[in-house]
Amino acid sequence: MTMHKERITSLLAALDRHRIYVLLALVFAIMPFVAHGFGTVNNLTTVLKSSCLNATVAIGFTLVLICGELDLTIGATLTLGAMLTIGLQPHLGRPGSFAVAVAAGALVGLCNGLIVTKARVNSFIATLGSMTILQGILYIYSHGSSVSVTGPADFRLADFLEKPLVPLLTPRVLITVALVAFAQGVLTWTRPGRNFFLVGGNRETAWFSGINPARYVVGAFVVSGAGAAVGGALFGLSMCSATPNLGASCLMDVIAATIVGGTAMTGGKGSVLRSALAVLTFTAMFNGFNALGFPSELKILIAGLVLALVVIHEAAAARRHEKARGRRPMLMEELRRKAPPQERES
Amino acid sequence: MSERTTQFTRSLGGLFHRAGIFGAVVLILAIGALVSPKFLTAGNLLNTVDSVMLLGIVAVGVAFVTYSGHYADLSVPTTMAFSGVMAVEMLRFGFVPALLAGLATGLGIGLVNALMVGRLRVNPIIWTLAMSYLTMGVMRWLWSNQQIYPDVKGGDTGAGRLFTELYRHEVLSRIPLPMVILALFAVAGHYVLTRTAFGQQLKLVGSNPSMAAMTGVRMPRTVGLAFVLSALAASVGGILITSLSKVGAYYNGEGYDFDAVTAVVLGGVMLTGGRGSMLGVLGGVLMLGLMSNILTLLGVDTFAQRIVKGAVFLAVVGVSSLLARRMGRDDA
Amino acid sequence: MSDIGLALQLEQVSKRYTGMLAVDGVDFDVRAGEVHALIGENGAGKSTLMNIIAGAFADYTGRILIGGQEVALHSPVAAKRHGIQMIHQELSLARTLSVAENLLAGRLPARLGILDRRALRAEARALLQRVGLDSLDPATLVEDIGQHEAQLVEIAKALGNRPCILVMDEPTSALSRDEVKHLFEIVRNLRRQGLAIVYISHHLPEILEIADRVSVMRDGKKIATREMRDVTQADLVEMMVGRAAAADLYSRKARPAPGKEKLQVRGLTRIGVFHDVSFSVRCGEILGIGGLAGSGRTELARALVAADAPDAGELLLDGCPVRPKRLSDAIRLGMAYLPEERKTLGLALRLSAGENLLAALIPRLTRRCHYSARRGDGTLGRLMGLLQVHPSDPQVTVHNLSGGNQQKVLLAKWLAVEPQVLILDEPTRGVDIGAKVIIHRAIEDVAEQGRAVILISSDLPELVSLSDRVLILRHGRMIREMPRESLSEEAVLLAANGGVGDV
Repeated sequence: MTMHKERITSLLAALDRHRIYVLLALVFAIMPFVAHGFGTVNNLTTVLKSSCLNATVAIGFTLVLICGELDLTIGATLTLGAMLTIGLQPHLGRPGSFAVAVAAGALVGLCNGLIVTKARVNSFIATLGSMTILQGILYIYSHGSSVSVTGPADFRLADFLEKPLVPLLTPRVLITVALVAFAQGVLTWTRPGRNFFLVGGNRETAWFSGINPARYVVGAFVVSGAGAAVGGALFGLSMCSATPNLGASCLMDVIAATIVGGTAMTGGKGSVLRSALAVLTFTAMFNGFNALGFPSELKILIAGLVLALVVIHEAAAARRHEKARGRRPMLMEELRRKAPPQERES
Repeated sequence: MSERTTQFTRSLGGLFHRAGIFGAVVLILAIGALVSPKFLTAGNLLNTVDSVMLLGIVAVGVAFVTYSGHYADLSVPTTMAFSGVMAVEMLRFGFVPALLAGLATGLGIGLVNALMVGRLRVNPIIWTLAMSYLTMGVMRWLWSNQQIYPDVKGGDTGAGRLFTELYRHEVLSRIPLPMVILALFAVAGHYVLTRTAFGQQLKLVGSNPSMAAMTGVRMPRTVGLAFVLSALAASVGGILITSLSKVGAYYNGEGYDFDAVTAVVLGGVMLTGGRGSMLGVLGGVLMLGLMSNILTLLGVDTFAQRIVKGAVFLAVVGVSSLLARRMGRDDA
Repeated sequence: MSDIGLALQLEQVSKRYTGMLAVDGVDFDVRAGEVHALIGENGAGKSTLMNIIAGAFADYTGRILIGGQEVALHSPVAAKRHGIQMIHQELSLARTLSVAENLLAGRLPARLGILDRRALRAEARALLQRVGLDSLDPATLVEDIGQHEAQLVEIAKALGNRPCILVMDEPTSALSRDEVKHLFEIVRNLRRQGLAIVYISHHLPEILEIADRVSVMRDGKKIATREMRDVTQADLVEMMVGRAAAADLYSRKARPAPGKEKLQVRGLTRIGVFHDVSFSVRCGEILGIGGLAGSGRTELARALVAADAPDAGELLLDGCPVRPKRLSDAIRLGMAYLPEERKTLGLALRLSAGENLLAALIPRLTRRCHYSARRGDGTLGRLMGLLQVHPSDPQVTVHNLSGGNQQKVLLAKWLAVEPQVLILDEPTRGVDIGAKVIIHRAIEDVAEQGRAVILISSDLPELVSLSDRVLILRHGRMIREMPRESLSEEAVLLAANGGVGDV
């Protein structure tokens, strides 16, 4: 009987660990049957396209979370990326404006990282502050309205980015896939990549192993800033315009996706790939809801609800773990045998 | 570091904490006088105070959360909006039921936060953020993104008119009602923080949570109450802001979370918890108001003011955490 | 005078903390291929000595030689470079990472920047084999393996840095008998491979089994170094305790006979921590609880005051069953628990002495929702005076007090609630002699006032001189009760080690 129970427990644990694959499969298995038009190639392309922005942003965000920190600026940074790419195009041309946008994003990340590591301000608080500054800058830059390409419009690049090369896959989707794959590869297969996990898992051990944790934390913030800017810039290039509230809902969606994807808020654990898949899951789900005629406001509610549930789930698991800590296996073993304790003879 | 420099940073830190915010307020008053002759007029100063009354009410609540070492309550803006919307919706049953409904909404949100952060010990930032999206989603869904108007919802009972005049109501036909509420809140907050068992235990929790737990402080209850107080203050602020804007909408209260934390931290409540006072919080609120007043007089628009606010926030947080570490007081 | 066979040599090494010589002119050496045990009571200076070797201090005096060459061990990195690896009691693994990555943290094998997973696996496997964990998959996450395996992984990780000197600090405190046996095979194996091993432990039988030589420390000095085959457990105990030491400090005062039973504990159990513990303590009695680290003493105390929820058992206070659900209930019932960890659990270092002292009294200083610290002024002044806290200004931040005075404030905090049952967990750890005397007198006063005291201590002279009776915990079970007549440091130490207590 205990064997049976144990098997169920371990099965549940495995399900929990790989929950994002299960959820993804569920959404793509159920939605085509209930939501009319969900399964068409056209709609699936839309799903993939609208996952791009958040998936790109989730890369850096996941990395910061792996380091045990939090970056609340991603929404504002991606807007910054989009706006700079569009706004600077007349002066610098496309490659120039793109480069400046990404550099600006990286700079935001660098500032965040330095505040967190040098002044040792809690990252939630530090990025809350820099987010406000950034929002102010954005509004001044855009005068509170959307920025579009001025002058003789050239939509060729935008069209190219949004038109499927092969069914389902547009260039922007492909770029996103490449970025996610690259990040996942670096995190899984390279020494610096693995060191991020060590820094998040146990900063002291990392320090004693000759790794400079501060450098990795700053690095994670820079990647997060640059990644968000790249996402925004690509979005801007394909839409040819950017609104100041472009990234407003992004923060919540990305946090929810990353945590549902299995990245631990306490650091040391996470996967860029799973975060991206979680973004895809969410996007597909909302797309299906739209087709079902659900009001779009439900989206915010559901994202909040999912995040709340996962957070509660993880808190409860942590509490169970804490309760079990300090219980020594040998005493448990003795108890199981129901035998009197045998003392070591001296 | 040499002995003398250590001494210097220590006394500097001591000064920073003791003289606190009011030295800065005097300083900024002087700057303001230099910047514009219009600044030091009674009318202008009263306007300044008027503009931060709501922030003050909300900040008194948030101060409890920060004081308890849980950084901030990010669900403040949506709590404000939701309380306002609920109050407006309930105006059809009369004025008093509407106010009660608004307060009950805040209480409900506060209780959920209390349960999650106090008992389940969920990360307060992530949780209150999730909570804010949750309530935002509920509001936008139930009211389909619509604004609702007190005079419409109140029908011809007169409750709508009463509600919209609430903010402008003057006690003893002189003092604006929000001012009275702020004063009451500040005094009550000061009393609770310094003269009640809850306030004392909150100080222990903020200073060293493990020690507090091993001293018999009931953590879920104490931490929870801080979040409930924050939500209640937010709901009072929310009802007033709805009355002021004469419209119940999901975006009421936007930005109040950040402004409140800024005021609280500016006022000397340390983010590491257990240190600070209500008087300081009021000073912080006043400081924010004066700062934004001066910037306005200088012709700086609201967006640029955000940048200044953010920069001041980061500077204060960074400097105070640096000083606290130098003084060797944050290793507990 | 260098000797090639000596891997590590300490000559006249001393380390002074503020005002106190923690290590006083110690000579110590380890040969390659030898297990050298270092024993001594808490505060004898052995952990300070080991920290010197691990490079934790830049300001020790004396000479340290490695392989005959004098070296400066002023940082952990320097110690590592000289081939010294330390395995601490608390594990330093990253729980969310795989075993393999923990083993090779900071030096993951890579080829052209790409992680060489095969090499990682192979190297990890080789290291795991050296500690006998052949069956453990290196890809397993550390959070999924047991404590015993984690302990062995920690050793394997240290071995991976190719040390020539390995320092093990209480490596068996969390292990079962079979696991200890397994560990010892590994240690013997390492010895055969020519490692010099310093082995610190409280468990004398283990030392008798594994060590080649033993050094005993007491009061910061090394008392003796002996070949293991020349000594018995009783000899070791005698050397550790030091018969005539501080006789007047620990003179046993005669106390009136204890009164009626105050607290009865029946069958208290926390599964996997301690089992079926029953005892009672009388009014005016000091009941000692002895046992080695990890025997469940602290956990038992925490369960008594409902800081942790027990799984079974009952408490009777003055003969009436009570069921405190949380610590605040227990305090209201008249129980108080002074925790072992002064700085994390006992005091809020950044608050003042007065605030700390009145912390547990807050509910009682509140009447009709009004808290007044002034109501506590009497208690505050009386206790600060009684315990001679210095400086006597209650406004002083606790952080700025010395360890002894911090401990006095902590004791005062719990005396302030005037408990009927006072539970003390290591009440004098890390304090100077002066503070110790004052604290001991205060404890005796509490008993003389007819209140019950439960005293948990690893400080044997303290335990023996203060207690009217001593209960011995071992592996979470109450194995012995020793009446005052048969109390001696040797007997307690032997009993705690599982031996027969009649020396």
